[in-house]
Amino acid sequence: MAYSELVKNFNKIRDYMREFYVYGFKSRDEFTKKSARSYDDERRRMESWLGDYMKFRQTSDGKNVFISIDSRVSRHNPLYKAWKAKSFTDGDITLHFILFDILSSPEIALTLSEITKEIDKYLCGFSEPKTFDESTVRKKLKEYVSEGLIVAEKQGMTVTYRRAEETELCDTDVLDFFSEVSPCGVIGSYLLDKTDDSNDYFAFKHHYITGAMDSEVMCLLFMAMREKRHITLESINRQRDRISENHVIPLRIMISVQSGRQYLMAYTPRFKRITSFRTDNIVSVKMDDICDRFDELREKLDGMMPHMWGVSIQSNSGQHMEHVEFTVKYADNEKHIHQRLEREKRCGTVEKIDNNTSRFSVDVFDASEMIPWIRTFICRITEYSFSNKEIEEQFGNDIKEMFKLYGIEGGDCE
Amino acid sequence: MIFSELYSAYYNTVAKILKAAVDHTLQKNELRLIIENTAFGESILNIAPALDEERWQLVHADGTTPIGNDPSMPLTILQKRWLKAISLDPRLRLFTDEFPELSDVEPLFSQEDYFVFDRYTDGDPYEDETYIKHFRLILDAIRNRYPLSIDTTNRRGNITHLVLLPEYLEYSEKDDKFRLISSGNRYGSTTNLGRIVSCKPYDKPYDIYRDRSYQSKPRTLEFELIDKRNALERVLLHFAHFEKEAEKLEEGRYLVRIVYDKDDETEIVIRVLSFGPMIKVTAPQNFVDLIKDRLIHQKSCGQ
Repeated sequence: MAYSELVKNFNKIRDYMREFYVYGFKSRDEFTKKSARSYDDERRRMESWLGDYMKFRQTSDGKNVFISIDSRVSRHNPLYKAWKAKSFTDGDITLHFILFDILSSPEIALTLSEITKEIDKYLCGFSEPKTFDESTVRKKLKEYVSEGLIVAEKQGMTVTYRRAEETELCDTDVLDFFSEVSPCGVIGSYLLDKTDDSNDYFAFKHHYITGAMDSEVMCLLFMAMREKRHITLESINRQRDRISENHVIPLRIMISVQSGRQYLMAYTPRFKRITSFRTDNIVSVKMDDICDRFDELREKLDGMMPHMWGVSIQSNSGQHMEHVEFTVKYADNEKHIHQRLEREKRCGTVEKIDNNTSRFSVDVFDASEMIPWIRTFICRITEYSFSNKEIEEQFGNDIKEMFKLYGIEGGDCE
Repeated sequence: MIFSELYSAYYNTVAKILKAAVDHTLQKNELRLIIENTAFGESILNIAPALDEERWQLVHADGTTPIGNDPSMPLTILQKRWLKAISLDPRLRLFTDEFPELSDVEPLFSQEDYFVFDRYTDGDPYEDETYIKHFRLILDAIRNRYPLSIDTTNRRGNITHLVLLPEYLEYSEKDDKFRLISSGNRYGSTTNLGRIVSCKPYDKPYDIYRDRSYQSKPRTLEFELIDKRNALERVLLHFAHFEKEAEKLEEGRYLVRIVYDKDDETEIVIRVLSFGPMIKVTAPQNFVDLIKDRLIHQKSCGQ
């Protein structure tokens, strides 16, 4: 098929975009094990959509392509552009604009045959007019009814179609803001496209835009949760390059604003437990039947959350709950450190030992999730203790390794 | 569904083209400009020929159109459901007390359906009436370009008086705080909205000192990444929001460069430390020294 900057299936683009944006160090050769042409096409598409955000670097292994975006500067998530590149047929676009012109206000209600005849009138002025038969028009109308754009009304044996009532759109500032910070923000970006003015009064710091690539998966998960449904998930194990299928009950989306990762917490009946799935590893979501136990299972998750640091609810140690505590010291002009502990803790308690010392303690399902946070207090940790001794040893060894890495302890810098 | 041509750049572009053609006979140059401003880099190669060759039978060869009205499309159910979902967000009240009527619409999600688990807990008070009043006045001042007279508490708890020209609002999802970025203020250009105690329009003559406006001070951090315990993915995802570049040095070893703002250096030091021995900073030297200082202090803690 000839190259087109539009695509039919988002999943392929999602994979390439992730590679170019998150990683960006692979050469063309590393991508082209599957198909050189596919790589060239996807790269060209992204150049067309993202323009200057696409960068190139020549290395000994060839040319590397990567996407580099400072999301504090960009104001609007550039990755949303990929969602606006869906392909369509010549008939789709022609029919779309003619249909909405025929049904130009909600007061106009016409039957299928009346609409079909009207369409012919629009097309007769072209040199080789297209013809749309009733079944094609019916199919398109049905599609638009399911999207909520057209309303079908039955009067006796006759069905008439009219445009749905207009909904007032909210202020563009609201859309500018929430399209960046709200889940499925790409929908807000679609709404912004309907307005002519976007004012850029908002910038975003610590702003992860990676989740944009998983918008469809997120949207389906939310729909399943609202309907309290079972779902079938296909998820990929990237290390093994293997796709597996899971029948689960989706309970909640967990979002990290410090890594941009998003997870689904779901109950897996087969294993009788709640587990997490990274949304960027979910390939597809299929809706199944309604789950009677949804409320009970979500309540169970609610009960677990005070002991979850991240999304893990099981440690490798086999302990049901792991205890962690550490003590930090600070100078008289560093009193904000106590506040930092209070502000940044997600569970557990902070205790002020004296004017210059505070202690944090917690019982969590998986202490290993806390390690990165505890490391941010390096330079003031006076004591630490983990009930999981393997983690405790690793924490200490990592600090020693860091001393070595920077030539502290008299050793040479590696 | 969410990936649909209904929301596509092509449909939006053609809507704009038709809007112009409904109003007047369309010129080739105008067509080109609309495509360049609305669609993608290479779209001109597709949209113009598709209309010219009458594959999309919407514009006649003479630049007229059979379409009689400005193209428009009602909101889809998906768009309404998303709007309903954001109407449940407490931050919406910062903007407005009124929202489009969506009483018969099921929200796409509610606050129970998702949870941000690592947001700091001392975020701004979005339901506080005084905070809302300040937010709305600041947004209005940004829109209409007028100066504000602000009293704010500094870190020591003292009141500072500022006269400034608001430029834009910056929101941090991690801190859950808004900051006002402004010009014309000799005490600095960033003001935390949560610290503002009073805010009103400044009605005296005001000269704009453009040179005082906020300018980032970009610095490039370079570090080696050792891919143990899935560090490659964790680090690159964590620093994904910066302008960055990654290079493979050898199997399991990578060189990463990120561009950060000098004002955020302490925060970046802490973020680098969180990855432990999987990251070794190599440049700039002053950053290496900051890491070393912290490690030396840690050593003095007896570890």
